[in-house]
Amino acid sequence: MNSTQVLNAIGSCLARAMERGLGKNGLVFPVACQETEDDDCRNSCRNLEQIFAQMNETYRFAEALANGELKANVSRSNIFAMPLKALQASLRYLTWQTNQVADGDLSQHVDFLGEFSLSFNRMIESLREKDSLEQRLKTITDVLGEGVYLVDPEGHLIFANPEAERLLGYGFQEMAGELVLHAIYKQYADGTFFTPEGTQLVTAVQIGQSYDNDDCVFACKSGRLMPVSLACRPVITGGRLEGTVIAFHDITEQKRHQRSLQTINALLEKQASTDALTGIYNRLKFSKLLALEISRARRYHSSMAIIMFDIDKFKDINDTYGHQAGDSVLIDMARVINANIRATDIFARWGGEEFMVIATGCTLEQGMQLAEILRIRVAEKIFSVPRAVTASFGVSAFRAGDNEISLTNRADHALYQAKENGRNRVEAEDAAS
Amino acid sequence: MKKVYDFKWEDLGNLEEGRPNLGGETSVVVYRLMQFTFKDVFSKELGKEKTCELFVKAGLLAGREFCRNVLNCALPFDEFIADLKAKLIVLKIGVLQVEQANMEELNFMLTVSEDLDCSGLPIFGEAVCDYDEGFIAGILKEYTGKDFTAREIDCWATGDRTCRFEVKPVEK
Repeated sequence: MNSTQVLNAIGSCLARAMERGLGKNGLVFPVACQETEDDDCRNSCRNLEQIFAQMNETYRFAEALANGELKANVSRSNIFAMPLKALQASLRYLTWQTNQVADGDLSQHVDFLGEFSLSFNRMIESLREKDSLEQRLKTITDVLGEGVYLVDPEGHLIFANPEAERLLGYGFQEMAGELVLHAIYKQYADGTFFTPEGTQLVTAVQIGQSYDNDDCVFACKSGRLMPVSLACRPVITGGRLEGTVIAFHDITEQKRHQRSLQTINALLEKQASTDALTGIYNRLKFSKLLALEISRARRYHSSMAIIMFDIDKFKDINDTYGHQAGDSVLIDMARVINANIRATDIFARWGGEEFMVIATGCTLEQGMQLAEILRIRVAEKIFSVPRAVTASFGVSAFRAGDNEISLTNRADHALYQAKENGRNRVEAEDAAS
Repeated sequence: MKKVYDFKWEDLGNLEEGRPNLGGETSVVVYRLMQFTFKDVFSKELGKEKTCELFVKAGLLAGREFCRNVLNCALPFDEFIADLKAKLIVLKIGVLQVEQANMEELNFMLTVSEDLDCSGLPIFGEAVCDYDEGFIAGILKEYTGKDFTAREIDCWATGDRTCRFEVKPVEK
């Protein structure tokens, strides 16, 4: 082949490649070098053949790199592949750097890779900021006097702060990835078991709702049931439920305090409503109960009688036997009345030696009968003073339009009549008054 | 005159005082001129193999001194490498990159692009960064307290665009 034929053959070969691409076989040098017409032409052809080979190799190398084959090789003498080798080295380094970042090494920095460097370094900055924020949050949760769990939407434990570990006794590592609520939230305060599924807390975690409970118990690793107050808040990122934060604290002390308060309140309530000497209701409590019973009688049109009674000549007892003996008589009087009224009747000390009974559901006649029984029991009773002790009784019954004062006044008036009529007797209210 | 010379970091002098106008930097050409002329003369006096060995030794000393005086050995490994990389760029020695790091076996594959010793050289067909080999090994020895070898497996002078060093601890 002469030079012109060689050039034509190469020209056709290149034109085909430009038009159709390199294809599977790459650029095939179209001239058999040994068949060229002279040495110069042959040498040029050999150089060109080498260039073709290097271009083919470079193409394959570039293709391998494009496919992510970072360990691809190319011959050292290939002058076309040199920039690609630099790119290969950079990509291999970036691969290592990316793994480092994934392992938490945020000291990575990319230099001299143009916009990629800027992007990568910006990403590192952003991760550092996030890391710093996480560290700050971790520090906060570490020192927080509140147990904090973070669970995924299925309830698997993702994070526990030291206070949560301390309170419940479960180390984070032993519970990581576990359905933590199934382990700690399964009992009522009285120890009976329930299934966590379907509870408001577990449902809140699953559907990403806020939930608060000031009165539940968590089971500690030791088996102890710890009363806790908890707040549950969903973590939603970009509209997606990422998990839920459950913050809780031990309210054992609070509960104990609450119980003490309840005891004190009950005591105070008792003191406020009880006569200190006899232990029966005092006038204040009686007035409240009378108002209540009047309302009831008014509403249900039911009967109700009240019996007011007074120890006869109580002043003489006090003057003769002393106040202590008088107090004993009052105490015995309360006992004897208490023993002879129904459980539904209400008995109180009205003041001094005066007492009151509300005979619920009783008409005036029934009230009179009860008063008579009481009078007899009192008269029969042997008191601690060496003399007979009697009482006088006045009875009134609820009428439409009555209030506490009108009802009491009529009983008082009847009592007055009983005293006037000789004591130790029962008198009914004046039907006309 | 002493028979031997013991290098000390202070011997590098006070460049601020000594070069108030020209400063502490010079051209890569001057650096290479010195290194390659040393190589020329030494190889003719001592043979090429011995010359390369001496260059590695000198690099090792330089690496240890560099580490002691310029780097912070108290940093954890990742941060130490990041610091080293930044210092090599600031001092225009080269762009260090890590391709592989096995921290258990202390094997590393490092590359240095735009290397002071070789980037841009004609293709000699053989790696020429003997001094760099010692320099890298010296830095790691100073940091870890262990002996290392760094072998250059790719070099600009062999047709590559980055110098690649296989670094591993010396087996005893």
